Amino acid sequence: MSFFRNKRLFIILIGIILLVALIGYSLSDQKRLTMPEQFIKDSVGWVQQAVYFPANYVKNVVNNLRDLKHTYEENQVLKEKLAEYKTLIYEVQQLKKDNEELREIIDKTHSIRDYRPIQATVISRSPERWLEQVTINKGEQDGVKKNMAVITPDGMLGKIQSVAQSSATVQLLSGFDQFNRISATIIREEGKDVFGLIEQFDHESQSLLFRIIEESEQEVEEGELVVSSGMGGLFPAGLPIGTVKEVVPDQYGLTSTALVEPAANIYDVHHVIVVDADLYDEEEQNESGDLE
Amino acid sequence: MRHLYIPITLFLLLVVEGVNGQLLASFLLDSDTQLVPHWLFIFLILIAIFYDRETTYFSVVYSVIFGLFIDIVYTDILGVYMFVYGIVTYIVHTLKKHFRENFTVTFLLGVIGIILVELAINTIYLFIGVAQFEWSHYFYFRLLPTVLANMIFLIICYPFFKNRLLSWKQGDLVDR
Repeated sequence: MSFFRNKRLFIILIGIILLVALIGYSLSDQKRLTMPEQFIKDSVGWVQQAVYFPANYVKNVVNNLRDLKHTYEENQVLKEKLAEYKTLIYEVQQLKKDNEELREIIDKTHSIRDYRPIQATVISRSPERWLEQVTINKGEQDGVKKNMAVITPDGMLGKIQSVAQSSATVQLLSGFDQFNRISATIIREEGKDVFGLIEQFDHESQSLLFRIIEESEQEVEEGELVVSSGMGGLFPAGLPIGTVKEVVPDQYGLTSTALVEPAANIYDVHHVIVVDADLYDEEEQNESGDLE
Repeated sequence: MRHLYIPITLFLLLVVEGVNGQLLASFLLDSDTQLVPHWLFIFLILIAIFYDRETTYFSVVYSVIFGLFIDIVYTDILGVYMFVYGIVTYIVHTLKKHFRENFTVTFLLGVIGIILVELAINTIYLFIGVAQFEWSHYFYFRLLPTVLANMIFLIICYPFFKNRLLSWKQGDLVDR
């Protein structure tokens, strides 16, 4: 009997050692998914899609019936807005053309604003709520890579945390800690832009902390739009992140921090766009490869 | 074919745990309350109580394998669910020898199991810095709702799976 007791203790000890080793392995920064991990993620992903799409269809039908009631009023509002947009579209086209011409003059053909969108659907959300992760149905084969930004039509949602062959895990903004900074800016006229870093998500106030690094006299006001500045190199410029909710001074009174409410609804996401920003880098590499 | 019923059920529960968060319970996500589905674990408890004999440890083996799957698919931090599910299923397996297999015992073992799993997982996450929380806040906003929600699942599952698991157990006997 005592032998069995020892054996049991032995197994538990090995288990603890294995646990520590595995945790250490998975928390290391440079980690990429191994083949078995990718295989399991993908196969679970396939079944999830098989479950998700029919279930989502039923849910949508129910929602649509509910929406029908409000259709008429919404239609009126939308028509008015459409008229406004028509003039805007004309302006935008004009500006685009101007921009292209100017760029040609200075021989700079692409900017940090350009990206290739990869459409994806969210198929599951991690039941472990601390982690704030969702799974999307596009992976390495569709060109998704680690650390790419993920956006919804409203604004930024998060970034790609790990990639399998045909699925990928997205770290949502609400799960960002101090290791996932985004360089951001508030755009104003005449070069009075405010620069700073989105540092982390504050769960108490349900908002992102935007630390303003420039010692600026410009007061940040509530309701101003914070967009990514593209200075960090990972994300393209001009992705809307959120609106300023409140401005608080930090504990030393030297800088101020703005509480930013995310523009995208983090809790109800279905369709997302993965932002492939290094499209042009690849092309350049290909071109130089051809020359050789 | 009969041997595959349990792994298939476990796999489906693994899938549904994730889709559920995305689809059905999305209205719950906005609030402070955290409801964490441990449906897979509830089924593992049922296996430990009704399928396993005193000398067989299918439930422990399954809990290690599917715990690792949860780690890979949903958390990207390997080992936590694997270790915790394994140990707690083993504890439940040991405890059940001293009781009769009825609903009250299953319910009580379920409550104990879920509380142990929750506490262990969150202690580990607190240690490695994945989660930051106050224990008092944790008890009200995560532990209590999680235990309640999973017990509802157990009550729904129990009549559906009890006899099935027992008959699968008998079937195994016939096979030998």
